[in-house]
Amino acid sequence: MTFRKYPGDLLLLGLFLLPVVIAAPALPWGSQGWLYSLAELAGVFALSAFLLAGILSARIPGIDPWFGGLVRLWVVHRWLGFSAFMLVMAHVLLLALATLPMSVGASVATLFPPLIHREVWLGWAAFLTMLVFIAPTLGFFGTLHYQRWKRLHLLSAPALLLALVHTLMLSTTAWVWWLLSALALAAIAWRKLLSPWLARKPYVVDGMDKLARDVVELRLRPKGKGIRWQAGQFVYLTPMDASLAAGYREEHPYTIASGSGDDELRIGIKAVGDATRALLDIKPGAEVRIEGPYGIFFDSPALAAKGADGPDPRRKQLWLAGGIGITPFVSGARDRIEAGETHRPDASLLYLANRPERAYYLDELIRIAEACDGFAVHTHYMNEHGVITRDYLAERCPDFAEREIYMCGPPGMINHLQTLLRHEGVPGHRIHTEAFDFL
Amino acid sequence: MTSNRIAYTTFVAFVSVVLTLVVVNLVQGNPDPSSASAGENARDEAVYRLGQVAEHNHAGSCWKAIDGVVYDLTEYLPNHPTEEEVFTRWCGQEATSAWLDKGNGRPHSPRAAARLEDYRIGVLEGGSPASATPQAETVAHSTKPVSVDNRLGQMMLGLAPGNYLDGTYRGNFIDRGLIQVSLQFRLEAGRIKGMSYRHLFYRDQDYLKMNDGAELYPVLRQYQQITERLEGEPMEAIFRLYEPQNVVDDIDGYSGATLRGAKVISAFRDGLNRGVYSW
Repeated sequence: MTFRKYPGDLLLLGLFLLPVVIAAPALPWGSQGWLYSLAELAGVFALSAFLLAGILSARIPGIDPWFGGLVRLWVVHRWLGFSAFMLVMAHVLLLALATLPMSVGASVATLFPPLIHREVWLGWAAFLTMLVFIAPTLGFFGTLHYQRWKRLHLLSAPALLLALVHTLMLSTTAWVWWLLSALALAAIAWRKLLSPWLARKPYVVDGMDKLARDVVELRLRPKGKGIRWQAGQFVYLTPMDASLAAGYREEHPYTIASGSGDDELRIGIKAVGDATRALLDIKPGAEVRIEGPYGIFFDSPALAAKGADGPDPRRKQLWLAGGIGITPFVSGARDRIEAGETHRPDASLLYLANRPERAYYLDELIRIAEACDGFAVHTHYMNEHGVITRDYLAERCPDFAEREIYMCGPPGMINHLQTLLRHEGVPGHRIHTEAFDFL
Repeated sequence: MTSNRIAYTTFVAFVSVVLTLVVVNLVQGNPDPSSASAGENARDEAVYRLGQVAEHNHAGSCWKAIDGVVYDLTEYLPNHPTEEEVFTRWCGQEATSAWLDKGNGRPHSPRAAARLEDYRIGVLEGGSPASATPQAETVAHSTKPVSVDNRLGQMMLGLAPGNYLDGTYRGNFIDRGLIQVSLQFRLEAGRIKGMSYRHLFYRDQDYLKMNDGAELYPVLRQYQQITERLEGEPMEAIFRLYEPQNVVDDIDGYSGATLRGAKVISAFRDGLNRGVYSW
């Protein structure tokens, strides 16, 4: 993954460094104290990362493009959580090391003092609570059930509170922690308590088109005022139909398949788990709630103008889709025919599927390609042609290495194509992909 | 994902290190003095004030303080062989006298003492519990315990001005117009080396000129033991001389505790304040 800059990055960095900037000068950096100070600094960094990860969990629609889209925000969130976990362990070990020259007993007593030193034991409680929800996140026990993981992840709130009290009892600069904690707890409260009522918009299932045995497209109509979206964005969908076999009131992310000007919100769904399989049986008239939109799959040029490293709007595009990863491109293609605009850069879609019945939406895409100048569709069937090669790509799109490249599909395909493209000299900043396999 | 493996590996290493520390500490088996704190003592026991004990002054909750140790004897009450009142009137009190004299001039039996231990819940603040101090008092051979907490000394030196370079120092303790202690020592990386007296004088006695038959010769020996036993010690060890019995032996009836260690400390610090005498 290539690092791109976005306007919100500076804000995140500022929030992350604020406590350190305030706490560091007050630490004893003298000859004896540096190890101890380092230990405290690790703790300060850990709590900063932890609180910032909490703040980033807010998921407010419309805000995420400033930070490079929701997928990127989740990646940052994950790295912050990972860093917090690592830094907390460094914090503990450095504290033990700092007192080790005195004696092993002093070192152990620093980590495990008598019970009346509540501030230390609160720190341990925070770490253990963190361990409970972060161990499954970091795959200590393999992958696990999405909804169960999500509920477990709520333990971050008590862990955060424990860590906060631990720090406040020891810190001399309380206000900065209050500030960050207030933001983090507000973010969690918004996400878990308020957003289900305030951010989720009611929609009704208008109808559904079966695209394959296990793939459908839902057509949704807003009950009140609906959401507005750009091609390639995604939403969280919550079925409110209690008769479903699974997934009632559970939110899952889905990519929007309709063009940005479409009245109907259309969503392509493939059965990959209990909840998605149950959704294939949803009846017209059933209510769902939609929260979003999120993401910046086709990075908007408007954002690029605001100082972000966006794509070059004059460059031709190559779209590489695999399986149900076609949905953002369906949205992009529909956008073209609805808008009928001419100023869009040429785009070539290469649709990778195992075999023809697995190339959903293909007929419609070909119709759009016939109707639109500057949009072409090609296919690649794994069963027929084997793994895609450079030559196959060059035959359909000779100037592929010069184009802005957008990819969506299973991780294996993305990895293979990324390697292939980088090998052909395509710079990382021209490869765009938003893989949300665990949101 | 790679980060997952890193996190898992680090976590396992983290647990190993913490466990190693704990196990090493257990194997070494010397509870650190710094681990004792306000509410607990070196045996990790609760410390109670007599006022707290006094709250448990009835048959429903009966605590007694005996020899500095606090016992909760509520459960034992029905088993006591006397009238209940004989037992309960001591609830909530310092009951050592009743323990040592059952009313007939005799103390309780060793068997009773053994049973008493089952009901021990802590120690009395400021008390010196008889069986909780099995420490060094009887170990009075020539090498004195060196596991002394030096942190107070480090702090005292830290409060004084100047930093102490390696080199030879000379300092005096002068009182009533006379030099009583004059000494010389070297500092090597903060440690005392080659400490010796250049002058020791008190009440018309020039100690350095005494022969081994002199009456006060044992005191001179004690002063010399100071120099022997501080050899190679960190400079803050000088403050151990505030309790000289921890440093020197009793010799021929002259108790180490009566030695004027403060004079040596004063002369030593005089040397430090004057700075390096020669390199």
